[in-house]
Amino acid sequence: MSSPDLQILGLTLRTAALATLLIVPPGLAVAWLLARKRWRGKSLVETFVALPLVMPPVATGLILLELFGRRGPIGSWLPFDVVFTWRAVVLAMMVMSFPLLVRAARVAFEEVDPRLERIAQTLGARDARVFFTITLPLAMRGILSGVLLAFARAIGEFGATILVAGNIPGRTMTLSLAIYNLVQLGRDADAFRLLGIAVVIAFLAVWTTEAFLRRRA
Amino acid sequence: MSVVLRDVVLPLAQFTIEVSMDLGARTTALYGPSGAGKTSVLELIAGLRTPLRGRIELHGRDVTDLPPRLRRVGYVPQDDALFPHMSVRQNVFYAARAPRPHVLDVLELTPLLDRNVKQLSGGERKRVALARALLSDPELLLLDEPLSGVDVALRDRVLEYLVRVREEFPVPAIYVTHQMAEVEAFCEEIVHVERGRVVARAALN
Amino acid sequence: MRRSLLLALLVAANLHAAEVRVLAAASLTDVLQDIAKQYQKSAYDQIVFSFGASNLLARQIEAGAPADLFLSADERSMSRVKTIAKVNMLTNSLVVVVPADGHTMKTSRDLLKMKTIALAEPSSVPAGIYAREWLESQKLWTAIAPRVVPTDNVRSALAAVAAGNADAAIVYKTDAMVSKKVRVTYRATNGPRIVYPFALLKDAKQPQAARRFLNYLKGPSARAIFVRHGFDVLP
Repeated sequence: MSSPDLQILGLTLRTAALATLLIVPPGLAVAWLLARKRWRGKSLVETFVALPLVMPPVATGLILLELFGRRGPIGSWLPFDVVFTWRAVVLAMMVMSFPLLVRAARVAFEEVDPRLERIAQTLGARDARVFFTITLPLAMRGILSGVLLAFARAIGEFGATILVAGNIPGRTMTLSLAIYNLVQLGRDADAFRLLGIAVVIAFLAVWTTEAFLRRRA
Repeated sequence: MSVVLRDVVLPLAQFTIEVSMDLGARTTALYGPSGAGKTSVLELIAGLRTPLRGRIELHGRDVTDLPPRLRRVGYVPQDDALFPHMSVRQNVFYAARAPRPHVLDVLELTPLLDRNVKQLSGGERKRVALARALLSDPELLLLDEPLSGVDVALRDRVLEYLVRVREEFPVPAIYVTHQMAEVEAFCEEIVHVERGRVVARAALN
Repeated sequence: MRRSLLLALLVAANLHAAEVRVLAAASLTDVLQDIAKQYQKSAYDQIVFSFGASNLLARQIEAGAPADLFLSADERSMSRVKTIAKVNMLTNSLVVVVPADGHTMKTSRDLLKMKTIALAEPSSVPAGIYAREWLESQKLWTAIAPRVVPTDNVRSALAAVAAGNADAAIVYKTDAMVSKKVRVTYRATNGPRIVYPFALLKDAKQPQAARRFLNYLKGPSARAIFVRHGFDVLP
């Protein structure tokens, strides 16, 4: 792997890791609420969370561009630029991966026998203790699968990223964007080389997580 | 040392529970056929279910609106509900409000402490569930069919443990069962429940 | 009797009506759509456009995409495809645009005041290649390169400035006329020679209809529309 390749790989892994880390706390919170609580407007929240999964990624990218552009409702009062910077890459990854994490985590929480949680309550545990000692450990397998899925999705993210972050070498050119760029330039051999790297990454990610999950079980 | 249910109403799938009872004995049997609503009554007392109407009092306190963790009730459910991802030690000491090493001795759990709960036999699981409930220093014990799920041959053994617990620890208990033999072996009073209502009450000697 | 004759004529006309597929540079989007509207007032043929970066269009033609005419923004893209009748039609020039409330430039070095500069991809898209040639001739390329935001085509660069997400863009003078949200702050008078070659493709499916439209493009009515949009027509 050459030095520009390493740079692209490094950027991709760093942004994907950061994006995944950032969506875990809110993702688990939303997943838990959807799994355990009922409230008016719950189906609205469910639909909203699922939107990035169902909409075309470029459409999501366009919405992010409008919101976070320098003149956009959110972008205008942020003290830094988002569009065309690494922050836009992380943002696009977060938005596209969030529904996947929530979906997987929700199923994992729903599979935890609520009776166990109720018994823990009779034993004097507060809600937070029940969550961290009973619910979370028992849901961990499903949650880790969800995190892996979110990470993989972040690495492969393209449609929203290219709209809101642009394809700037060294700044926002992730693995997917680099492959696209090389294909556009007609440099197929280089594109296939990067494709090979992408496949190896995907393989390693799934392999290590499966091994980890096997040991826990 | 009493449990009072005043005009408690809880609609279930097949019928509605409507009970009033005033229990003061050391061990009271809640006796009746399967599906009579006995487990639901225990859940009401423990706070795992909320009644549609009525009041629940434990030792003179109105606990109707109190969450389970504040009720000081030790609930041993029919399927034990042991935490599958924890060892015996972690299960037993989950609440551990007051140290009662005595509990481990009475229930002979010391050799089992580091085992994973998935490796236990039916009888061993019952003892762990019982110890876990006792170690939360409850003011009331709720035992839901404690001998179900145990090999017939071993039931006497488990009953022995229950009797020992009753002797060593002065906690009042409500014992749910559909077997009269257990009622006679263990309880001082019997409350007969059918289809969500109390149909008879008696003291046993 | 007369009505059925009319119907027969219409049917006959439609049987001869062809669909001419034209692949054209992004910078020609507005002017060609205007010209086609005029053309179709008197012609039966349907003109179907596909606009994009000329290098990308050339690649599509190489890969066998169906096309009759290729209207490119540079000779480099045109040289990749097989043509029958080629003619150098237009020329253009480069300008620097900024948002309506953006920085003003007096000399080309004032580009260094801009935090982000949008360009069409400078290694492949004609507008970007021209822009880079110009910047190199001004000895500014090395300093500017780290601030460049490369876009898929020249119109995306324009859009970035119009939305305020880039401080400046180097686009064709004709592109700047399209958007009211940008203003021209500098004209690259010593820019590279920009030539738009137009050609009929060898593998055209509708060569006769394509030739008809190409001839129209060379004619006086089309010329007037080109000029109105800011292009200079080569003699």
